[in-house]
Amino acid sequence: MGNKNNETGGASKRTMKKALLYAAVIVFCVIVISPLVIVFSSSLRTPGNQTSPLNLFIEFSGASYAQAFSNMNYPMELLNSIMTTAGSVLCIVIFSTMAAYPIGRIKSKTAKFLYYFFISGLIIPSQMVIVPIAQTLNRLGIPNTRFTPMIMFITCSLPFSVFLFSGFMKGVPVEIEESAYMDGATLPRRFSTVVFPLLQPAIVSCVITQGLWIWNDYFYPMVFISKKAQYSLPVGMLQFLGDKENPAQWNVLFAACVLCALPLILVFLALQKQFVNGIAAGAVKG
Amino acid sequence: MAKTSKKGVKNYTSPVFTRRMYYFLIPALAFFLIFWIYPVLQLFYYSVTDFNGINYDFDFVGMKNYARVLSNGTLTNSMKNTLIYAVMTVCISNIIGLAVAMILNTKIKMKGLFRTCAYFPALFSAIVVGFIWSYVYMPGAGMIANLITMVGGDGAAFNPLGNYKTALFAIAMVEIWKGFGTTMIIYLAGLQTVDESLLEAASIDGCTQWQQIKWVKLPLISSTITINVILSVISGLKAFDYSFIMTNGGPGKSTKTLMFQVYETAFTDQKMGRASAFSVLAFAFIILITVLMLLYMNKKEVEL
Amino acid sequence: MKWNKAVSMLCAAAMTLSMLTGCGAGGGNDEPAEAAGADEEVSAEAKAPADIYDHEAIENAGDITLTMMVSGTAYENDFETEQLPNLVKEKWPNVTLEVTKLPDDNYYTSLKTKLASGECPDIILTQPMYAGQNSCYSMAEAGYLTPLNDLDAVEGRQDLSSVTYKGDIVTLTNSISILGCYYNKDLFAQAGITAEPQSWDEFLEDCKKLQDAGIQPIVMGDKDQYVLQFGLYQLAANEIYSKNPDYDTQLRTGDTSFTDEGTWDTVLEMYKTLYDNNYIDASQSLGYGASQAITDFIDGKAAMTFDGSFNATALTAEGAAGAFERGYFPIPGKEGVYTATCLGAGYSIYSGSDYVDECKELLDYWMDGKSDVWKAYLSTGRTIATYGEGADSTPNYDLFKPFIDLLNEGKGFYWCNQAWPAGTETEMEALFSEMVGGQGTTVEDITQGMQDKFEDLLDD
Repeated sequence: MGNKNNETGGASKRTMKKALLYAAVIVFCVIVISPLVIVFSSSLRTPGNQTSPLNLFIEFSGASYAQAFSNMNYPMELLNSIMTTAGSVLCIVIFSTMAAYPIGRIKSKTAKFLYYFFISGLIIPSQMVIVPIAQTLNRLGIPNTRFTPMIMFITCSLPFSVFLFSGFMKGVPVEIEESAYMDGATLPRRFSTVVFPLLQPAIVSCVITQGLWIWNDYFYPMVFISKKAQYSLPVGMLQFLGDKENPAQWNVLFAACVLCALPLILVFLALQKQFVNGIAAGAVKG
Repeated sequence: MAKTSKKGVKNYTSPVFTRRMYYFLIPALAFFLIFWIYPVLQLFYYSVTDFNGINYDFDFVGMKNYARVLSNGTLTNSMKNTLIYAVMTVCISNIIGLAVAMILNTKIKMKGLFRTCAYFPALFSAIVVGFIWSYVYMPGAGMIANLITMVGGDGAAFNPLGNYKTALFAIAMVEIWKGFGTTMIIYLAGLQTVDESLLEAASIDGCTQWQQIKWVKLPLISSTITINVILSVISGLKAFDYSFIMTNGGPGKSTKTLMFQVYETAFTDQKMGRASAFSVLAFAFIILITVLMLLYMNKKEVEL
Repeated sequence: MKWNKAVSMLCAAAMTLSMLTGCGAGGGNDEPAEAAGADEEVSAEAKAPADIYDHEAIENAGDITLTMMVSGTAYENDFETEQLPNLVKEKWPNVTLEVTKLPDDNYYTSLKTKLASGECPDIILTQPMYAGQNSCYSMAEAGYLTPLNDLDAVEGRQDLSSVTYKGDIVTLTNSISILGCYYNKDLFAQAGITAEPQSWDEFLEDCKKLQDAGIQPIVMGDKDQYVLQFGLYQLAANEIYSKNPDYDTQLRTGDTSFTDEGTWDTVLEMYKTLYDNNYIDASQSLGYGASQAITDFIDGKAAMTFDGSFNATALTAEGAAGAFERGYFPIPGKEGVYTATCLGAGYSIYSGSDYVDECKELLDYWMDGKSDVWKAYLSTGRTIATYGEGADSTPNYDLFKPFIDLLNEGKGFYWCNQAWPAGTETEMEALFSEMVGGQGTTVEDITQGMQDKFEDLLDD
């Protein structure tokens, strides 16, 4: 290990190290991804095929998918998921950028208080307050429709989104706004044409992190939706709960799992860069 | 320039940033107050009543619920489980996340593919993840049990969710599996902000790679570490999904987390009042831990 | 069939309980006078003539959507979620019935929040007396359930006291639910067992024979802790209720206690024997889900499993072991055989519903003992009806016959949790799992824990 060996051993040592590094990363990735591979391989079997799922890709059939597709009423649930997620995220972006505007810009105790006030909401889990929330909705005469879970998604997302945008707002130079002010732009105009466009990276981040969560959440839709026609994908998955330890049902169950995650997987693969940057921007700059 | 206060901080009297801006808060604040703060306050109110969750004809009972929660052992058990769970998820997912991020931050090929693999589990809904891991952990026919049998071990004996010593660890692993990819991406972004020239300088000064990590990289990404740790602490303390979907709190009470216990008290025992008291205490506990962590991490950040 | 006798036994068990807790029963039936005497006001209410609902409500309603929520796992061509809505549509084209079926835990959460938000489905599944989080007594006490006294389907039925709250029938239940032991006749024969066990000792001997023959005697899915009730309640019927039918009533008055010697300590000790001897393998069962246990049973991997009549469809399905013959017997006690067989869950109408009369008409049609809905309902093989056409020719009737006979002999008792405040049984389950999981919990700890929890839950 002395200096003498440096000349001769250095290169091969470096290659060794590199190979080891690759091996480690590959093994690690295989471990992480293997349950998903098995799930995918099983989902391609016919529902009756009960050989061990570890025999990968021994059969290629759409039968399990067809069954899961109709059991879930997939097109409808997909549409509901898209509507709920898109609607909620849109409102979240508008409301929280607006809220972050004064919080991020005004330097006063009130603004600081509001900042922490919103953030404190991060800590409260929804299971805890679900009954009082239901009562509140009742008192306000808000019926259980597909919009009710959206109200809750918007509300629950505010702490994080306001935190994200007000952090980001500080990085948006005030000079641009001041010159807009000199040009006689009104406050709403200044916000919508000057500030809002500059928040774009944070908006991407918000859409991705919050969209991911809303798409995957089953709690609020389960609790607030009674009509099957309004079910979102994760709620539809609940009907398979009894199948999770029943090997006879695995192929269909796994096909349903893939179908449930498929839209997100496609979006992720298509917009990978935005995803990665969005997640990072949210945390690093926030 | 706008008028500045004595401390050099812009005040709200600035003609550009006037108090009128507060109007922008109205929609968000309305939602937050009506659908979050008001229900939370109601929770405080219920915590001193004997409300059972269905019958609205309830009475004031004073601090009895709090006394009960503190004395009947459910709080300590679930707090212990939650802490173990949180410490496990925070440590492991941050260590793995940081290690993988560092490896991926070197000049490695197929970086994108590895990153995608690591992040993939984060795309799945908790309920789907619960299904997948129920299969992975299943005794007898499950994935790991089968693998053990294949390599000649006793697969039938592998039963992580049925064992008191391993159940909590097993569900924490699921959380880590789903969550570490996000942690890793955040670290990766943090590492990319590290100035290469600083590392070169350190290398010229004779720092080993380990020393470079310890004295240059880690201090430079300390704020990233803080944010990652705090985010995973909060989600770890709110743990509910996998106890609910995979173990139902069992075996015995070994995977009952704070949130699971709140849920059970409210819905199984029909003690909404007591569950509210429980929630208030859990809330205080989570705030305390988070604030302590924040203070500690901030201090560390300054030290580094 | 001696249904009346069977049901009046049930009735008596439930009656004694409800009397003392002040939830007077006896919706106009010929119950003993002391029931009425227990609560003057209640009996007066009960005797009031029932109003008659509008039997043409649906016909005059125009296009309506009725909602219904039940718990359980949906099977292929599920009765509630698929057949029922279609059959209703056939009968009344103007009615759309939306049925939601959720797993138990999700059902309870949904129900509670839907009640809190005033958006409860029109028809919901409720359980007799105090059982579960959808117990009809606690829901009726809060005023959420519509009285069903004027339904045609309850006329002349005397078995409804366990769903009668303060003189009002609040749940329409028409079926009996059984807890018993399903067994694999082929495996029994392999181990040289020729007859069903008639006593606890015989039962243990049979387990031993199976074990010696290399067959796993019993498989249970104890990861879903509620399955512990399936065995324990049968033993409680044998060892506790057969000796003192008023045991639970006296629990509430303090005359008995879970810690009394010869009651729950015996039951828990007996059930523990099965684990001690590895007849049920705790290291396996604690990580096994309920459905996995069922799968193992139909795959022929174990000779027995304790389960209810409600799971008969799944347990009689063909698995890897093919169509072997199955039997169903009550776990015998030390002195005689009794059974945990009683009125099961039923359907209630939400009091805030806009379509109370329409729902009543629908339930009446469903439960009339002859309609298409009724026939489809019976042919699920999970339902053991107490009346109506074809009640004794349902698919699994042969399996259930021994239990019904016992019930007719007065040897049937209700499930323990029907008499306990919800939560007592979960404490029992958790502590029992700890004991068989080697956590050092003793039988005394369990009975004490149950007693503490029971008192705690009642104290408000």
